[in-house]
Amino acid sequence: MNCEQYRQAIAADPSESFDGGKTHAANCDACSGYRQELRSLDEQIARALAIDVRGLDLPGLPPIDDADRGSAGFLEQKSRRTSVFSPPVWAGIAAGLVVAVLLVIGFPGGDVSPSLAEQVIAHLDYEQESRRVTAVPVSARRLGDVVGSEVAGMDHDIGLITYAMSCVINGRTVPHLVIQGRSGPVTLILLPDETIEKSIGLSGNNVHGVILPVGNGSVAIIGEREEQLTEINRIGRKVADTVEWKI
Amino acid sequence: MNSSADFERRQRFERIVTAFHAALYRYAAWLCRDPDIAEVVLQESLLRAWKSFDALREDDAAKQWLLTIVRRENARYFERKKLEMVDIDELSPSQAAMIAVSSDPELDEMREAIYRLEDDYREPLVLQVLMGYSTKEIADLMGINPGAVLTRLHRARNKLRQTIDTAGCGTVARDSG
Repeated sequence: MNCEQYRQAIAADPSESFDGGKTHAANCDACSGYRQELRSLDEQIARALAIDVRGLDLPGLPPIDDADRGSAGFLEQKSRRTSVFSPPVWAGIAAGLVVAVLLVIGFPGGDVSPSLAEQVIAHLDYEQESRRVTAVPVSARRLGDVVGSEVAGMDHDIGLITYAMSCVINGRTVPHLVIQGRSGPVTLILLPDETIEKSIGLSGNNVHGVILPVGNGSVAIIGEREEQLTEINRIGRKVADTVEWKI
Repeated sequence: MNSSADFERRQRFERIVTAFHAALYRYAAWLCRDPDIAEVVLQESLLRAWKSFDALREDDAAKQWLLTIVRRENARYFERKKLEMVDIDELSPSQAAMIAVSSDPELDEMREAIYRLEDDYREPLVLQVLMGYSTKEIADLMGINPGAVLTRLHRARNKLRQTIDTAGCGTVARDSG
């Protein structure tokens, strides 16, 4: 094995499991040094690949009937059923279901329907990671997918939009957006099917805001506690002025 | 299936999934380069794995079996969605968070360099470095011959070295190939 062959081989396999590698490196200082550099590179690569892992969230595991076991046809059918939702909708629905369960657990007897305000706040608690301070906007494509599917029109120039997800609130799939406000992230939830007569105040864990009536629908605007309510209302009015519900 | 057998099946499934969850998640995330999509792919993979769990005879084979399911589910997802190519300058917050760790700029640069690698180069690298897979195991999983695996790994490292060298923070000297 010559130096060129060794370097080709070790770049593909730094563990040096190939034949003749160790012998060559033992007799060639330059290649031995090269091996060391590559292993150092691999340590960097390994650190970079070890991204943070989100908590394990097992899907609901349906009972398995004998007829289902190993049935590829069933699996394909299931796959087709689930694939009608885009990933934001899928994840949002999952979040909505969890919130619904949490709300039911949180209410004595489980037979009292939570109010719209309670559902909005519970959803924010569930999707806390959406309220990140960041300067990275969501792509126009993502925004179009989320907003366009439920709302006829909205001026996207309402601020730096850093989060867009289709979520389930009160049994309906709605756009959940986050823009960067003066004192942190501000959440906007567009509620085209929720008609309210007057504004509803919102208060939750370190957040507060309002649900504003907008035509036949409404918009929830929630900011961090430090965000002035006047600023939250200003953002809400700006959104309300530009949003058009689907008929 | 009676309730006792169903309970044992669930216990076994949860034990295996818990053991390999981190590896599966990271593999999915580096395949699709988006933690949000990785979550969806992983959920669908686990559901699929659950449905065909009886096909897994030996627990020792579970990791390879699950990785294969994740790989196929990822391909199905992108086939269904026909997603556009990711523009590194227009990342979603989820994608950006995957490569941004502000406390360590060198780590950021390496993550971004890996993120930019072509899929064909990134996947064998993940399997080798993160999973500790042999060339043959990678070849089996990816359905290519071992020679192709070695070529891709060699090129992947060279590309990373060039990128890191260009960024000015690398220490590895460049060679040909």
